[in-house]
Amino acid sequence: MATKIFRWKAIIPVVLFLALVAVLWIIFADRIIRTQIEDVGSSTLGTELDLASFQLRETDAAMDMGGLQIANPSDPKKNLIEARAITADLVALPAVEKKVVIERLTLSGLRFGTTRKTPARPAPKDSPSRKLWEQTQDWAKQNFALPKIAMQRVDTVKSLVLDPTQLGTVKAAEALGATADSTRQALTQTFQSIQVKPVVDSATTLANRLAKTDPAKLGVTGVAAAVTDVKRNIDQIEQTRKQIEDLQKNVNTAVVTLNQGLKDVDEARQRDYAFARGLLNLPLVSAPEISQALFGQPSLDYFQKALYYAQLAQRYLPPGLRPLNRPGPKRLRMAGTTVDFPKEHEYPKFLLERGDIDFAFGPDTSKGQFKAVLTGLTTQPALYGKPATLEASGKVALATPLVVELKGLSDHVGEVSKDQAEARLQGVPLPQLSVPGLPFSVTPGVGNGDFSFALTGDRISGTWSIQANHAEWAADSASAASFGLVENTIWRVVSGLNQLTVNAELGGTVSAPTLKVSSNLDNAIANQLRAIAGEELAKGEAKAKAAVDKIVADKVGPLEAKVDGLKGQAAQQLGLDQKQLDDAQKLLEAQLKRYTGGLPGGIKLPKL
Amino acid sequence: MLAILKIIQSIFKTLHSEGTPRQVAAGMALGACIGLTPLLNLHNLAIISLIALLNVSFGGGMLGIALFTPLGFALDPIFHRVGLGLLNSPGLRSMWTVWFNTPIVPFTNFNNSVVLGSFVSWLVLAIPIYFLARWGIARYRATIGDMVRRSKLYQAVTASKLYNLYRLFDPES
Repeated sequence: MATKIFRWKAIIPVVLFLALVAVLWIIFADRIIRTQIEDVGSSTLGTELDLASFQLRETDAAMDMGGLQIANPSDPKKNLIEARAITADLVALPAVEKKVVIERLTLSGLRFGTTRKTPARPAPKDSPSRKLWEQTQDWAKQNFALPKIAMQRVDTVKSLVLDPTQLGTVKAAEALGATADSTRQALTQTFQSIQVKPVVDSATTLANRLAKTDPAKLGVTGVAAAVTDVKRNIDQIEQTRKQIEDLQKNVNTAVVTLNQGLKDVDEARQRDYAFARGLLNLPLVSAPEISQALFGQPSLDYFQKALYYAQLAQRYLPPGLRPLNRPGPKRLRMAGTTVDFPKEHEYPKFLLERGDIDFAFGPDTSKGQFKAVLTGLTTQPALYGKPATLEASGKVALATPLVVELKGLSDHVGEVSKDQAEARLQGVPLPQLSVPGLPFSVTPGVGNGDFSFALTGDRISGTWSIQANHAEWAADSASAASFGLVENTIWRVVSGLNQLTVNAELGGTVSAPTLKVSSNLDNAIANQLRAIAGEELAKGEAKAKAAVDKIVADKVGPLEAKVDGLKGQAAQQLGLDQKQLDDAQKLLEAQLKRYTGGLPGGIKLPKL
Repeated sequence: MLAILKIIQSIFKTLHSEGTPRQVAAGMALGACIGLTPLLNLHNLAIISLIALLNVSFGGGMLGIALFTPLGFALDPIFHRVGLGLLNSPGLRSMWTVWFNTPIVPFTNFNNSVVLGSFVSWLVLAIPIYFLARWGIARYRATIGDMVRRSKLYQAVTASKLYNLYRLFDPES
């Protein structure tokens, strides 16, 4: 008897089982999706994301969310943002491809910096966002050695012994030395590969031979052959000259690189002087350094956060249509890696076409509402083809009008990503600032603040500034009695000032950023400090400079000579080669004129 | 406790069921898929339906799940490598791109390295599992099967009420 393939009696139980699965999905879908939003959001942002409620309205192709909280990654007791209600109208068709396309999103009751009921959980240590957050913290620490306002007594008697490995000049000089050597080698090889001497010798020999011969005795054939030889030699000279010109361009490029290297060495030396001064605990008397010491850290904190979010955007919203690897879902089994495969002319995995946001700003939310519009936020910008934008503005007519303007752009459509944000706040309560290394803090009060940041490829730029007319300085009462000379001097300057203006400017690239900070306090503090400790400072600075020079002088001096020698040698060789070629060509051209001028009229020379 | 009892029952019943070694082995091969791959995925719904609808041993399927689930956990790092290798293979990229932009297919989660790697590994192993299981069950029944059937433990386990539910899916010879 043949074995049956199907078990017909099991059809009803299977159908019932599938129906049970469907019912369970309907019952638990909202909870599952809410948990997934929390997990994916927390993992992506690197900070806790909570959602109090979620409801999927399948028949309306919409979803309602309530009680959204995103914790501040640098302060777990505060929320970065909190939203009361969110409604999203979905495009139904992409959902069958597991894609979320939100046609319109309405977000109301958005607030910033609210206090959390329970502190946020830190992101898992191995999560990519947590790692990125730590990387940007390291970036700030490693790239900006902010000067400190020394508080100890000026000690120029202290012996200063420097370790050469601590000095950037030594490293920069060694790097430039290696570059100079490799440049010399490359140029020497190229000079040797260009055969100037054989070309010049051949041309000179031909010119001399022709000079000793009478063209009239050669006949037409002989003259034609001689002219052909001359022209061939002139062509060889032209080709060699072209090679020399190309080499000249290479030499120019090498000179620019070497000059830049010398500049880097010089800058490293200045940094080493500052490092050595720091070891002597000399108080800062340069105005830019004082601003960096006072306000460098607060401005860096803002730029560091902006860089984190810009790099987060570059990581999760990649340009182009390359597959994107991301961590798989949390489960008992290994999460693995989930790969998204974007396809041209299809919907992206996630797209928010337009979001309308109502938000409150400042402590009193009853007096003003602000509007923001977010467009084109997508995980696959190349498919959407337009950058994501955010524009927000609002004004509240208080005694001091409160004005908020925000603009954001995330353009990942082309190969080079660009993320930028601008904020202009007027009449807002500015946060208290502590002065690193000093027992002072300043409460700027109500004032104006501006912030901008842009990350374009590897280039960064940003500005941060605050202006306040009613700033109040406070000293730590516990340590006020033990103020030293430096603290007392600074306190005398700042405590009488109500006006506070700070400007910070970030520039350069992510790997080599620059920071300039200035404030209205710089010169006043610098002058006071210079007046009280000028002589000791001069001694200390000379000592620091001598300690650095002692180590680097024997490395930098020969290096400068080596670079200058290389530049001079290359220029001399090029000039010599060019002159030889010019002279040889002149000799040939003279013979060419002599031979062609002697031909009977009407005889045409063969074309080359 | 109920689950453990159920697993023990399924092992006993399967090994002594009236299903042929082929039916039991086929059930085990299908059950291995559920055990080897992460459970909550669309393909496993299809495999469960197949175990129920095809005339294979349901107990064999249960036995496959029980035997291969721990193996699945242990082999996850290998599945991840296999899956990631396939997903990142330049030669297969156009296929995946079409596939994962086709309705319903993305719900299989085959764009996850562990899901794809474990599923492909199961596809490769299914036939060897089938033949190995068929040979093993035949040998078992021919050697110590009768002795076990007469044991008190077997009598106790099969007396459980769960056995009645299980019999609904007994293979038809």
